[in-house]
Amino acid sequence: MGALLKEWVFTTDHKRVGILYLIGSIAAFLVAGLMAMLMRLEQSTVGLNIATSPDDYNVWLYFHGAAMILGFLIPGLTGFFANFLIPLQIGARDVAFPRLNSFSVWLFWAGIVVALLTFVIPDKPDVMWTGYPPYSVKTLGNTAFYVFTVHLIGFSSILASINFIVTIIYMRAPGMGWNQMNMFVWCTFGAFIIQLVFVPVLAAAVTMLLFDKYLGTNFFNPAQGGDVLLYQNLFWFYSHPAVYVIFLPAVGILFDVIAAMGKNRVFNYKAAVYGGVFGIVLITGEVWVHHLYVAGMPDWLRIGQMVTTLLISVPVGLLVISLWGSLYRAAITFNTAMMYAAACLFLLLVGGLTGIPLAMTVLTVNLSETAFVHAHFHFVMALFAAFAMFAGVYFWFPKMTGRLADGPLATITFWMNLIGVNITFWPLFIIGFRGMPRRYYDYAMFPEFQPYHQVATVGALITGTAMALMVINWIWAAAKGKKAENGNPWRAKSLEWTHADCPAGPGNFPGPDPKLDADWTPYNYAK
Amino acid sequence: MANHSASHAGGAHAHHWEISTYPAIVAVGVLFLVPMAFSAWFVYHSLLLTVLFAGIGTPLVLWGVSGWIGEGMSHKALLPGVAVAGLPVFIISEVFIFLSIFASYWMMRLMADVWPPEGTPAMPFGLPIFMTVVLVTSSVTIHIAEEKQEKGDLAGFRSMLMLTIALGLVFLACTIYEYSHLLGIGFVPGTNAFSTVFYSLTGFHASHVLVGAAVFVAVLIPAFSGKTNLTFTKCAGIYWHFVDLVWFFVVSQVYFW
Repeated sequence: MGALLKEWVFTTDHKRVGILYLIGSIAAFLVAGLMAMLMRLEQSTVGLNIATSPDDYNVWLYFHGAAMILGFLIPGLTGFFANFLIPLQIGARDVAFPRLNSFSVWLFWAGIVVALLTFVIPDKPDVMWTGYPPYSVKTLGNTAFYVFTVHLIGFSSILASINFIVTIIYMRAPGMGWNQMNMFVWCTFGAFIIQLVFVPVLAAAVTMLLFDKYLGTNFFNPAQGGDVLLYQNLFWFYSHPAVYVIFLPAVGILFDVIAAMGKNRVFNYKAAVYGGVFGIVLITGEVWVHHLYVAGMPDWLRIGQMVTTLLISVPVGLLVISLWGSLYRAAITFNTAMMYAAACLFLLLVGGLTGIPLAMTVLTVNLSETAFVHAHFHFVMALFAAFAMFAGVYFWFPKMTGRLADGPLATITFWMNLIGVNITFWPLFIIGFRGMPRRYYDYAMFPEFQPYHQVATVGALITGTAMALMVINWIWAAAKGKKAENGNPWRAKSLEWTHADCPAGPGNFPGPDPKLDADWTPYNYAK
Repeated sequence: MANHSASHAGGAHAHHWEISTYPAIVAVGVLFLVPMAFSAWFVYHSLLLTVLFAGIGTPLVLWGVSGWIGEGMSHKALLPGVAVAGLPVFIISEVFIFLSIFASYWMMRLMADVWPPEGTPAMPFGLPIFMTVVLVTSSVTIHIAEEKQEKGDLAGFRSMLMLTIALGLVFLACTIYEYSHLLGIGFVPGTNAFSTVFYSLTGFHASHVLVGAAVFVAVLIPAFSGKTNLTFTKCAGIYWHFVDLVWFFVVSQVYFW
């Protein structure tokens, strides 16, 4: 037991590092999900319900946002999935820097520990996941813990980006050209470029916050020549690209799942890669201002960034067309992974289309800070990305554990999840449009919204139950699930299925190093 | 892809799970040394806790880093020499940290009514020029050190490396001298917008000089017992050149604009 523990804790193997990321991110997901349940219960009726004070609500809001984004979505996608899959999919035996990889995962865990300490320390952080000054500088809450959570997880992301950018460039199997890589590898490559460039900016922004609060500097202090809006600019300069750090790997997972379960080629592969992925990488740094439309700025800047924001729907659209096109004339097997993938296409449609009005300055002036925004980004970021992750977990579960997680419980929890999230977030679109502010613990000004909130709370409870059951199902299936018959239960064509065992062992490939023909592709189902 | 076959030399397949204890130790050390110790001091004002956390964190970080370097120098990488490609990628992210601070500076400065703001003393003229000369010289000496190592001239390598470290320390001494002078006349980080930027930019740069010099020390110590690793030296050198290059931006923006 001790030896086994040592082998896991000190592992430098990319698959085990990945699984350590997965465990950490599921832990963050469950606790942050619990916070969501508490907030929904708090809002089920007007007035203070289960919180003892409005401050409780702020702490829940802080933890829910910070842990879901920094602890679950980003580490789950660029930590777990990238680690587990990229070396397998490019035919490498590990990443370029295995020890750095182990360091990354433990820095991430250190960030999770700091985040979880929120619940035991005095003066809990209460600054949302955004940490806007002047509140974050003036609050009695421990803003330092917010900053260090960002630092630890951010530094871990930067190191992972370096590792995977180098791995993808230098360690592909002989014969694997750029146009023969899995879509997941391409999408994640784009996400890592974005992370490498933009995470440092967030790290700098929160460091300035730390200095302002604890060392008395004046970055965000207008009385001494600082500028409060500077923080918002730096923060969203990172945090809008962060949306694509989440979006791209999620889309990559969908491509691989849909192609394998539909036994089909990826439609418009080159357009999706060079137009879609790189279009997003190019434009992502020029759209952040749409988070600050109402914060005060010159019109030329507002209008310019409205144009770029609308423009980014072109590369996103290319990816979406490729996803739908990959379904065309596909022989689809609807297992759990494919059901989640199909649900993602719907969630992305709702989330994406509701983003268009929010890109328009003239509409955002009215919709900003309402539940409409809240519902929009939950559809496009939270639900879409989380469902894509669940699709990926079910799809690659045999590769991790040698067993299948599909079964009645998987199917039931899928439908509960899909129905639950729609019940939760559609009412928020409606009341958001009618003026329900977001982030507020109470809505005494709008008692007529109470029925909508109650419906949303019922939806949240359905989803919460389903998520808990789903994780229980995974744990059960990892130990007792149906064994995968061979290395390739889905009869897929990409390297992790054709060349590695289930579960994949040390060194990844039991046989000789993979060598690929000129006409090999991971989606060569026609042959 | 030329290097790829080398990485799989002899088709040697791992049949056991690879482990390394040091990265996890460093991460735990960082957790205690940075978030815990900082919060204990600045948020909770507890000397006892600060000493406790720093006392746990510091030895863990030192132990982990030295063990990690030892492993890195002796173990054969999956793809030898790839770190030389990885370091420039890391530098891209560093560039963006510096850019964020510069952007903050430009935003504050361009929106200010008067500049420099009230309370800013006259900045020295000769010292930053001297510091620039020192840093540029050290970039040359580390380049010579690399060449000597490549030629197998271990003694020459060691002396050029020591000279580089010495120049780095001279630079840091100048920083300390200047800081103590400015702090002495009441120009502290909180004085005004310029002091905030001044201490952030020069301090952040100086921290890079410190890290660079520390890495050189880590290269130097094994070199005394004859152990060298060209990849490690090259990476340290690339980092040092970057630190040198950034200084031009810092010095021109902070002292001469």
